[in-house]
Amino acid sequence: MSVSSESSALLIVGHGSTVNPDSSAPSLEQAAAIRAHDIFREVACCFWKEEPSLRDALFLFSDPEIREVYVVPNFISEGYFTQTVIPRELELDGRLTTRPDGQVWKYCEPVGNHPGVTELLLRRAREVAPQVPEAETSLVIVAHGTPLNDKSAIAAKREVEKIAALGRYASVQNAYMEESPLISDWPRLTNAPNVIVVPFFISDGLHSYEDIPVLLGIGAESGAASSPRAVFRRNPHRLHGRNLYYASAIGTEPKFAEIIIEQARAFDEAALDLRPIA
Amino acid sequence: MLPRISRALADWISAGARGIGQIEIQHDGGGFVLCHFDDIARKDLEIFRSPNDAAELAKFDDEGNYRPLKTAPNLRRGWRLELPDLEALQEALDFFYPGRLAVLAAWEANRLTTAPLRQTLHRQSGMYRVAAKISDEQIDTVVGQFCRSRGGNPGCLRTILWSRDATGARPSQHLPLEKFIAPIDQTGRGETRIPLLCQEACNLLVAEAREVVAEARETTSRAE
Ligand code: SF4
Repeated sequence: MSVSSESSALLIVGHGSTVNPDSSAPSLEQAAAIRAHDIFREVACCFWKEEPSLRDALFLFSDPEIREVYVVPNFISEGYFTQTVIPRELELDGRLTTRPDGQVWKYCEPVGNHPGVTELLLRRAREVAPQVPEAETSLVIVAHGTPLNDKSAIAAKREVEKIAALGRYASVQNAYMEESPLISDWPRLTNAPNVIVVPFFISDGLHSYEDIPVLLGIGAESGAASSPRAVFRRNPHRLHGRNLYYASAIGTEPKFAEIIIEQARAFDEAALDLRPIA
Repeated sequence: MLPRISRALADWISAGARGIGQIEIQHDGGGFVLCHFDDIARKDLEIFRSPNDAAELAKFDDEGNYRPLKTAPNLRRGWRLELPDLEALQEALDFFYPGRLAVLAAWEANRLTTAPLRQTLHRQSGMYRVAAKISDEQIDTVVGQFCRSRGGNPGCLRTILWSRDATGARPSQHLPLEKFIAPIDQTGRGETRIPLLCQEACNLLVAEAREVVAEARETTSRAE
């Protein structure tokens, strides 16, 4: 069985937030975009910290025509949520779970694992600084770092290695909010006249609106009255003799919708590879 | 044939349901007009026409505060949402009260599973694991405040279908019996309204339970 507009449903699982109104936006927007394509019979989202909850999601696909549900975590990497919380709350036995009524739930890899994320990071960097020559630019991918079982730092490192290997930018590097190399050290970490900083997060929120700008030294410019998104519109910032360009969280890139679809398709392709050789 | 969830909604509407939660649903030809039930008589409402507008309307309360719990009785006022058909109505309601129609349809089909609060708490991991240490008395108080339909903090318009534990005990004696009986509507209007069901404690209540345990521990350690 592969993805079918007759019998397949897609469930996008996001983190959500009880304090940040923008946290669920990327998942909801991508769900709407995918719905418009008629690839799946149904497309729904669920969230750890918002409604519908992961527990509610158990009841979202009740029509007997839906034979399989592709579960795609809208997370930047494997980690505590993809390995512990989602399987537990959705009552998944592993990659493949058959419900009592025969409906099959396919647990796909998180969006951040997809090789296409590299291209989206490059695209975001070009968008935020369109006129700037890459050879005179340092690219910094900033992730959170440290929390228990958070593999986003590893994923961010992998992306940096892939982009560095292309040899297009003067330098490409990782930085973190809570472990070294710290993002606040960016003037020392980079050497090119232009510096582009892309947050390696799924959604915008306190980290991308306030914490990282403060660590970069551009936080104080945000007026309390302005929208939190204003921080992404003031590029370039002239600081330490460089031009600093600051992008919004990578997960807000609309092309993530395609990655979600591909993660669902990849599930069946990987399953084919795993077939025993006759 | 209509999908199961749409059919459940259509059945409630044709049975004369006046609305859902704090939303009034009026028929308008083949379409529907939605507004806050306290705004029915108002003529100065801002008009919206897309089900997607419901997402923004549901996001903040009248003071502009973010609403993490969509079934809390703090839906903002001042809007009128005009929708062409049942499909658009369902889409809008899925933004206003996400997941509630699906859970209601499952309940009506006898396929809804509920989980006692203690089971939900024991399942938690990481920072929420400690919530399981909450006492029955603390549950009585917390649920009594948190889930209360009117005058709660934050309060919630869902009907609770879960028990405290495997004994089947009600989680709180502070709440009226109707709070636990579906399909009684929780707005207190005594009308036929589409019920909002709670099959299992939400993440916000779990977080609150964790707070209660943490605070009690702090008080004890300070006293020692
Ligand atoms: S546990 Fe259920 S009734 Fe209580 S606040 Fe959460 S959703 Fe509402």
